[in-house]
Amino acid sequence: MNQKTNGPDIEPSVARDATYYKAPESLRRRISESIAAEGREQARPVMWRWGGMAAAFAMVGLVSWNAAVYTARGDVEERLVDEIASAHVRSLMVEGRLNDVISTDQHTVKPWFQGKLDFAPVVTDFATAGFTLAGGRLDYLDGRAVAAVTYHHRLHNVNLFEWPAAGESAPELVTRKGYSFVRWKHGGLQYWVVSDAAGSELLRFAQLLSAS
Amino acid sequence: MPHLDAAYNLARWMTRNDHDAEDVVQEAFMRALKYFDGMKGSEARPWLLGIVRNTCYTWLEKNRPAEVVAMEDVDSVVIDAVSIATGAPTPEVILLQSANRKLVNQALEELPVGFREVIVMREIEDMSYKEIAAVAGIPMGTVMSRLSRARELLKAAIENRLKRAS
Repeated sequence: MNQKTNGPDIEPSVARDATYYKAPESLRRRISESIAAEGREQARPVMWRWGGMAAAFAMVGLVSWNAAVYTARGDVEERLVDEIASAHVRSLMVEGRLNDVISTDQHTVKPWFQGKLDFAPVVTDFATAGFTLAGGRLDYLDGRAVAAVTYHHRLHNVNLFEWPAAGESAPELVTRKGYSFVRWKHGGLQYWVVSDAAGSELLRFAQLLSAS
Repeated sequence: MPHLDAAYNLARWMTRNDHDAEDVVQEAFMRALKYFDGMKGSEARPWLLGIVRNTCYTWLEKNRPAEVVAMEDVDSVVIDAVSIATGAPTPEVILLQSANRKLVNQALEELPVGFREVIVMREIEDMSYKEIAAVAGIPMGTVMSRLSRARELLKAAIENRLKRAS
């Protein structure tokens, strides 16, 4: 017992001596899997989800069947915005989820999509204008596989989603839940760009892409 | 996955158990995904840790209600904490650096959770007062006073352990 009378040589300190508990790999995997499962859940066919929603409403007797259906119809746009926001957040939360092909070279990213989609997405780097191409991946929106092209804009991650749609429409800004969305249709494709960057910057990006 | 280590470290210190910490973090991340309204770039860490902290408290209230002490009752807590911390330390505690590690870990584990969490965020996670205030949902002044109280308690607990051992 005597050897210990002077206590430790070094003054104990929380910053140096307390344990930093790092997350175990199993937890990382578990959460990734749950998030992926949640993604699949959200990607279920629209009618199925609406059916469930309407049934739930009818069951608790809060709203009539008609009202539930009406609400669902009015929410098509909202639902897409929600889906896109979720896809954006998921891509940032799960490591390795943002890009399946990582490159700042459009001639690497664009061919990667070949054979994976039934259309050719537009992939253009705008590094000189402040939007640096970061890569791409497949995602699932509006009941179909879509192209997700990612950009870095200063410290922000930007997701650009593309899938086929008829008609033309000018870029339009929507803001929800702290995110900005700009959507437009051009040349047979529907575009949605989403980020926590300023809406005006996303509009500028839409103009760059439309003019390219 | 951003901030997973920070989330786990906070939950592990608050629940003091590997398994419970994993469950809490998993639940917090799923909640975060659903209610991401508040998440914006640089504020992601305090926002996420805020959800982890809330999930921890909900879990503690359900499973170990005795550990959740209202922070208004701090004065009585002070006495309790010191008396708990004077429990007999093991003889090898006082040797070398690993002794310090054990000493500090044990003393910190025995702090009431309201003090423990601010020490963990400030000293181990190296967060700013502002970030801690955002996570805990309390004013910066309260963060500072709670932190200084927590440091006093911890210091007393460590000194007591040293005294007992010598």
